[in-house]
Amino acid sequence: MRIHFNLNGKAIAVDAPVGTSALSLLRDYLGLKGTKEGCGIGECGACAIEVDGKAVNACLMFAAQLDGRTVLTVEGLETPSGLHPIQEAFRDHHAVQCGYCTPGLLMSTHALLAEKPHPDHDDINTAISGHLCRCTGYKNIVSAIEAAGKNPGGKN
Amino acid sequence: MSDIEYYRPHDLDEAVTFLARNGATTRILAGGTDLMIDRRAGTLNTDCLCDVSRLVELKRIEIIDDRLEIGAGVTMNEIVHSETIARFAPALKIAASQFAGNQIRNVATLGGNVAHCSPCGDTVPPLLIHDATAMVRSRSDERAVSLADMAGGPYHCTLGPSELITRFVLKPMTAEMTLTDFQKIGRRRALAISRLSMAVMARQEKDRSIAFIRFALGACTPTPHHFEAVESTLLGKIPTETLLWDVGGKLARQMRVITGRRPSAVYKEPAIAGLFVRILYPLVASSGKPVAP
Repeated sequence: MRIHFNLNGKAIAVDAPVGTSALSLLRDYLGLKGTKEGCGIGECGACAIEVDGKAVNACLMFAAQLDGRTVLTVEGLETPSGLHPIQEAFRDHHAVQCGYCTPGLLMSTHALLAEKPHPDHDDINTAISGHLCRCTGYKNIVSAIEAAGKNPGGKN
Repeated sequence: MSDIEYYRPHDLDEAVTFLARNGATTRILAGGTDLMIDRRAGTLNTDCLCDVSRLVELKRIEIIDDRLEIGAGVTMNEIVHSETIARFAPALKIAASQFAGNQIRNVATLGGNVAHCSPCGDTVPPLLIHDATAMVRSRSDERAVSLADMAGGPYHCTLGPSELITRFVLKPMTAEMTLTDFQKIGRRRALAISRLSMAVMARQEKDRSIAFIRFALGACTPTPHHFEAVESTLLGKIPTETLLWDVGGKLARQMRVITGRRPSAVYKEPAIAGLFVRILYPLVASSGKPVAP
């Protein structure tokens, strides 16, 4: 079927079989390899993207479910002037080790901060409990999200 | 896989009209978090997906007369954020807030969780303590289905192919309830499938005797159960820790009668008794923790 949606600020249309996952649509049909596949069954959060402002697992979504939606992936965070403030916070707080969980965590953080610009510790834990970091760098990840919440405009 | 059709009705009438014609070869798609697991496992086996996730008729949460009605398309996070549910069905809110992870709570629906008929469906015990029924629509009919009748067995939903759950009707919690709670045991706090889950709602008199109790057990029987024997044993009694351990032990033995003695019983029977005492302990004392017998 032909799927129409807004991807990272641009209206697009793409043809894919109905049974395709949203994750495969992004990676294999659209070439956006930033969104990762970890477990493929919704347990690790590596594939998290934002759909209509909410973090969802792209591996648990049919591509057809994106039709008519507004989608943000990690590729849409960066602006021409540089990294998104959340990305800067992750870098500055050493919240990236192997980096495989990072794109998903960035998207959950982005959705969290849009809803709650100054999240407390519990808000952060709730927002990222569906993410696994096998390097176990959780402490730095939480610090980065706290910092991004305190300084939404970034360093400058 | 490439042969699957996708149909997204604009309203409820379109949905049930479509299902009347094509229900036998269609799977109903709401959040998709269970269907995508089937797709990956190669067990989706369908010609068509009917996406009901955008039907506004399935999204309502409201008190109508003395009933709490929750639309089948309401997501777990919509339950978490609903003030109406926090006030009138708080155990359901607790279950929804502990459901999988945030990304799944954003899309997984109440109707989907119930219709999936997993023995471990975490929303079922909290619905059972509110005597919930599902309202089920087809093109020509609407009927009420009890949750006990909905699940014919693990992952077996008894609804017909042209039927769609539109909403759940609950008896709302009243202000005089003393205790309401949901607790579960899983291998990990987030995301893990429940090994055991329990929901309770109770009211005590001034002398602490139990005047009303509803109790439901999930995940360790083929379908979640409302345990009337537990309720009738406790009704009218002033609960003590000894009494709770006694009834918890009976509950564990009843579970064994239902499921037969399985290898997991060595773990599950004491865990059932322990969780039972823990969830009901506020009826015995307002603070502190139970001690193992």
